[in-house]
Amino acid sequence: MAARPAPVAAAAPVPPEQPKPPSVRRLVDSPGPRILAVGELTRVVRETLRDAPLLRDIWVEGEVGQVSISSAGHCYFTLKDEKAQLRCMIFRDDRLVIPFEARTGIRLVAHGRLDVFEPQGTYQLYVDTLQPAGLGDLALRFEALKARLTREGLFDAKRKRPLPPWPRTIGIATSLSGAVLHDMRKVISRRWPMVRVVVAACQVQGPGASTSIVHALRRLARWTDPLTGRAADIVILARGGGSQEDLWSFNEEAVVRAVAAHPCPIIVGVGHETDVTLAEFAADVRAATPSVAAELAVPSRLDHQASLLVLSGRLTAAGIRSVAVPRQILDHERRALASFRPTAYLRAERERIGLLLDRATRSLQARLEADRSRLARTDDRLPMLLAGRMVRARTDLARSSASLAALGPFATLERGYAIVRDVDGAVVRSASDVALGQLIDIRLARGALDVRVQQVRDSAT
Amino acid sequence: MPTSALPVDIEALAFDKALAELQAVVGRLEAGGLALEASIELYERGVALHEHCARLLTGAELRVQRLVDQAGGALRTVDLSVGEE
Repeated sequence: MAARPAPVAAAAPVPPEQPKPPSVRRLVDSPGPRILAVGELTRVVRETLRDAPLLRDIWVEGEVGQVSISSAGHCYFTLKDEKAQLRCMIFRDDRLVIPFEARTGIRLVAHGRLDVFEPQGTYQLYVDTLQPAGLGDLALRFEALKARLTREGLFDAKRKRPLPPWPRTIGIATSLSGAVLHDMRKVISRRWPMVRVVVAACQVQGPGASTSIVHALRRLARWTDPLTGRAADIVILARGGGSQEDLWSFNEEAVVRAVAAHPCPIIVGVGHETDVTLAEFAADVRAATPSVAAELAVPSRLDHQASLLVLSGRLTAAGIRSVAVPRQILDHERRALASFRPTAYLRAERERIGLLLDRATRSLQARLEADRSRLARTDDRLPMLLAGRMVRARTDLARSSASLAALGPFATLERGYAIVRDVDGAVVRSASDVALGQLIDIRLARGALDVRVQQVRDSAT
Repeated sequence: MPTSALPVDIEALAFDKALAELQAVVGRLEAGGLALEASIELYERGVALHEHCARLLTGAELRVQRLVDQAGGALRTVDLSVGEE
């Protein structure tokens, strides 16, 4: 498809930027009458318009008159009221990102800058944002700041940092009055009570709130644990629900920038699910409410209780397997010994393995006891979801108990052997391992003795 | 349930570190091929790690503190009880 020639107005929609010629200033300032060329005058008008800060960043409301779209895709329309009309144009690229179209007869609010189109001697509004009329001033300020900070890249996805999975300290900036802190405390306490929460109190509405919030965020940024030197792992900025005016501090530029610049990964949870504030856009993670922010900050205890139970079952099973083979060897050896006169070496070796097996058996048994009582304690607190995993863990446990019974716990001790340990708990295998007067611990089938060595007779004597 | 003190190095471990080591211990035990004494030692360490993790999960109590400004710009933390919120 061949491109049609563009209409004149669209061919050069905006005058190219030119360095301001020194002659312009002199023209205006120099006294006395002087005949100007049309181009000179138009340039003076253009420079005057461009110099007025108000005209570079304006919101204007009116009814849309005629609308036309050029072949290049730029949109031309007029905005009018009872007294005047204003020519407006939107460049193609802007038009494609503005979610709102100018249509004849509707009232809307346009944002942009005023400039002169010299070839036609007209001034017009170069529009970059369009909104339906009637949104109010706060909404306009919200949109304007959002657009500006978006262009600056403050809300970019690539700026977002991941939350550390195992936080030790959570910093919270919020008000001490109201239910928000209490609710968050409850959530964290239920999910992951081993963290420490450090609260920086701040005012969250009314005049001075934004300064107070920024101050609280800075204090949390500055704080480190005096013992470990660690900063907070995650910071949460939170506030409960309220009207748009109540939540306004969270749209103030200073607050949004303080969130974006915070050295710690930061979660912002403000208001109810439907409320949106700019501080949330600037956060690493946006939470619908303060309670959700608290949930996102810490892992779940219940999940880890379940996975710990599974690990425990695997540990027990592996423990039993690791003694099963030596146990068989021992039995075999015992049968062999029955038909031979046992040598001292074999007896010692057999005893060594027997003691190790007893040690393993005792550990395993203690482990099973602990698991059993833990199961009993956690049972009523577990939701249905985990019930299946729980049943499986309990079956594993029952199977482990059966294998354990077969191993014959404490069998060796029952036969009259004892386990001798030194004060460090190490098994004493040789008289030369202990010194005269040393304390040793003797474990019997039932009970134990604390004994002081009175005499050492090693095998040589 | 054993109430004996856990090895000092385990007692000081944060939950995530203890859990990671427990996973490694179980993995090594399951792989097998260890001498009896070594596997029992490993097993006992696993038990202690598990005990530590379980105690952390069930025994911990949330500590909430408030940041307070001090002269000279330093920050101090003071405990914040439920009633003060």
